Amino acid sequence: MLQALLNAVALGAAYALLALGFVLVLNATGAVNFAQGDMVMAGGYVAIAVASFLPLPGIALLPFVLVAMVVLGLIVSATGYFPLKDRPPTAVFVSTIALGIVLQNSANVLAGAAPRATPPVFGGGTVELAGLALPEQSLAVIGVAAFLIGGQAWLFGRTSLGRRLRATAQDRGMAEALGIRANLMIALTFGLAAALAGAAGLLLANTFFVSPADGTNYILKAYIAVTIGGWGSLPGAACGALLIALFEVIYPQVPVFLGLAQEIHPWTAWLFSQTAAAIVLYLAVLAILFFRPQGLFGEAAARRA
Amino acid sequence: MTHARTSVASLLGIALLVAWPFVFSSAYDLRLFALAGITAINVIGYHVVFGHAGALALTQGTFFGLGAYVTGLAALDFGWSSVVTLPLSMVVPVALAWLIAIPVLRLASHYFALATLGIGQVMLLVAIQWESLTGGANGRPGVPGVMLFDTPVPRGWPLVLLVWSLVTVVGLVTWRYTRGLRGRAFAVMRGDELAAHAIGIDIGRLRAQAFLWSAALGGLSGALYVHTVRVISPEVLEFHVMVAVLTMAVVGGRLHVAGAIAGAFLLTHLPEWLRGFDRHYLIVYGLALLAAIIVLPEGLWGWITRRRVQAPLPDPASSSGMAQSPPIETSGMPVRSVTGDEVLQVAGMQIAFGGVKALDDVSLVVRAGEVLGLIGPNGSGKTTLVNCLSRLYRPAAGTIVLRGRDVTRLAPHEMARAGIARTFQHLHLIDDLSVIDNVAVARFGVSRRCDRHAFVRERPDLATARAEVMPYLDIVGLAANADDRAGDLPYGRRRAIEIARALALAPVVLLLDEPTAGLNAAEQHALAHAITAIAGSGIAVIVIEHNMPFLMPLAHRIVCLEQGRVIATGTPAQIRGDPGVVRAYLGGDEGASA
Repeated sequence: MLQALLNAVALGAAYALLALGFVLVLNATGAVNFAQGDMVMAGGYVAIAVASFLPLPGIALLPFVLVAMVVLGLIVSATGYFPLKDRPPTAVFVSTIALGIVLQNSANVLAGAAPRATPPVFGGGTVELAGLALPEQSLAVIGVAAFLIGGQAWLFGRTSLGRRLRATAQDRGMAEALGIRANLMIALTFGLAAALAGAAGLLLANTFFVSPADGTNYILKAYIAVTIGGWGSLPGAACGALLIALFEVIYPQVPVFLGLAQEIHPWTAWLFSQTAAAIVLYLAVLAILFFRPQGLFGEAAARRA
Repeated sequence: MTHARTSVASLLGIALLVAWPFVFSSAYDLRLFALAGITAINVIGYHVVFGHAGALALTQGTFFGLGAYVTGLAALDFGWSSVVTLPLSMVVPVALAWLIAIPVLRLASHYFALATLGIGQVMLLVAIQWESLTGGANGRPGVPGVMLFDTPVPRGWPLVLLVWSLVTVVGLVTWRYTRGLRGRAFAVMRGDELAAHAIGIDIGRLRAQAFLWSAALGGLSGALYVHTVRVISPEVLEFHVMVAVLTMAVVGGRLHVAGAIAGAFLLTHLPEWLRGFDRHYLIVYGLALLAAIIVLPEGLWGWITRRRVQAPLPDPASSSGMAQSPPIETSGMPVRSVTGDEVLQVAGMQIAFGGVKALDDVSLVVRAGEVLGLIGPNGSGKTTLVNCLSRLYRPAAGTIVLRGRDVTRLAPHEMARAGIARTFQHLHLIDDLSVIDNVAVARFGVSRRCDRHAFVRERPDLATARAEVMPYLDIVGLAANADDRAGDLPYGRRRAIEIARALALAPVVLLLDEPTAGLNAAEQHALAHAITAIAGSGIAVIVIEHNMPFLMPLAHRIVCLEQGRVIATGTPAQIRGDPGVVRAYLGGDEGASA
């Protein structure tokens, strides 16, 4: 039970990185970056590529991944956002879908379709803690994700650059009037978002592997997390990500907790399969949207009538 | 000019499509050409909901896949003829679309995209998981070809002819549906929802129609597809089907049936032409989508047929035309009320925003043929009242009675149809439409009211609607600018378009929200003239104004609001002398000058 919980938190922490990046771009541009899911995939492959030259543990690969992903994020903003910034947000939605296809198929050509794994953050063993054997990777994922989320919060909350980033997200026109280079800030936001997603890719691909078509799944997770947590809210996105992960890990284990494991009926087995978990998750989101068209906790992103 | 280019391009396109299978006539080429037609049906469906209705639906792949499964399984398990399975493959996705339309279509665009994507994922997972029926991830081979009653339609020419006949039928029906006045209504709806409400367009209904039609065509396309590839597998439900359709709509042109066909034709053949790229072709595909959305915002077809509109030369006559104001002819306007009758009774109107009472027990009465001025300091609730009367806001309490009918609970578009028309403080026009089409589109929602008892509820076609609204353009002095692009007119003239558009609803009550803002003296003079004429025709006119020199000579009565309450009602002279009004609003100077 505790182990399942730990795995869930680790998965949630990685999802949170992804969802935070989604919200950062959303707040800065008002547009959905659909390529954000493919950034997770890209981050995984960058880690694998670097590891093929430098056989290092994941923690040492992290700086390489972050830098490469910032560059990729800047490229995405330059090709998918800036040419369309004066057009309706759906244009960016479509352009980032296009970029996602390009990324996905580039990965397919470069690395092949077979799933690959990244090296573990430190090692693949277990840690003895208070008499419990805990997977080292899960703990490390939580640690790294917490460090990055903390870093993001520090950057936005405590630094002059962060203030400029926030000012741009809040009111671009006003920020420009104050002499902030809003376009640069938006480009940096894309870079930051890509770096967070890439880190998630590095962290996830050890346990869950990475394959070129993973992006669609990840963008859906981020999208759902942001919808649950309140469109535009950073803490909400992190909470939403955690909730999704808890659900994904705990739900298939429900029969185990209920002691049904012995004589499990095929239908019960199906009802608590991974697939059924995904279906239930989507249906839950549809139900949420049905009863609360403005999202579970309302919208944080202000929209003017 | 546009028509000529469109006709030439259409003829060339049709000639190309007819000639194509004669030139590229190998079995493989014919199969590809049939697939292009099948895809075209799907894209034609999608362009209605994505292009015309402006909804970022990500369900088209799902409808396609569902149609494919329905036909595939019905043919495999029951051996049904295509005469049954093709319609069934349209009905089932329509049923799904109908089920999800109510909860999903009202969502804001980002949630709508997510919800539609989620539905697709559920369908895909079900198709993979339900192995006993679908054959799971590997699918089931051996789907027969198209069977018309007992006659099989073999591959090659017969299939090509069948598919492209269907493309023709579907294309013509869709074109008929999306052109003319309805096409203009779609343009207003996706361009400016507030404007659509204000002119009586039922957005929910139009969007649902578009969604259901897209589902029907998606299903038909999927059914034909499975007959052609002869295998049913979960691939038809995967996200890349959706992306392909989206790409084709964007590349071809999302607002034209011809664009949908062009996009489907080009991108179905693109992998063949890019065979040199081998596995890289999907990268090129993505880059093509990206390039298209950046470089060709209206797609290939929009680019080919685009009308280059020159800004009109400043015409000295037209800017003074309104000021010269010959006697305004209003006899052609429909009269819905007898002058002097109380046509609008508002009682006990209340609304609060976050605890602040924006309207507090507001009551007023307006008579036909009367100009009622509505004044008050900023934030006193004037525009809030107009928004309540046009039902953009839902008041917490109060009643609105229009000619004896309680209209308090009507939807905004129903209010516009019932006879309360409005203009906006900030312009809500569709810049890309011509002046006359901005006005004519108001006939889309209202005109059916006139023939409620007729068997066929015929809307006027675009030409009739344009003819019907010419008198309104005359009233506001825009007759000479009828064919100009609305966005090209100077600000003051564009404000006049909104008034003409409101008049085209044949309203009982006309609400003008700060009509003089941004108008020069000559334009204000002409506006006063027009308002007098409008009221003279029997319409009750409510004018919100800060501009006292304009309002005082014009209004028969004035209501003054302060902090959401009516503090005075009376003739302009009475209002001018009312100490409460003077204190609250007019101030010493302005009161004296008015």
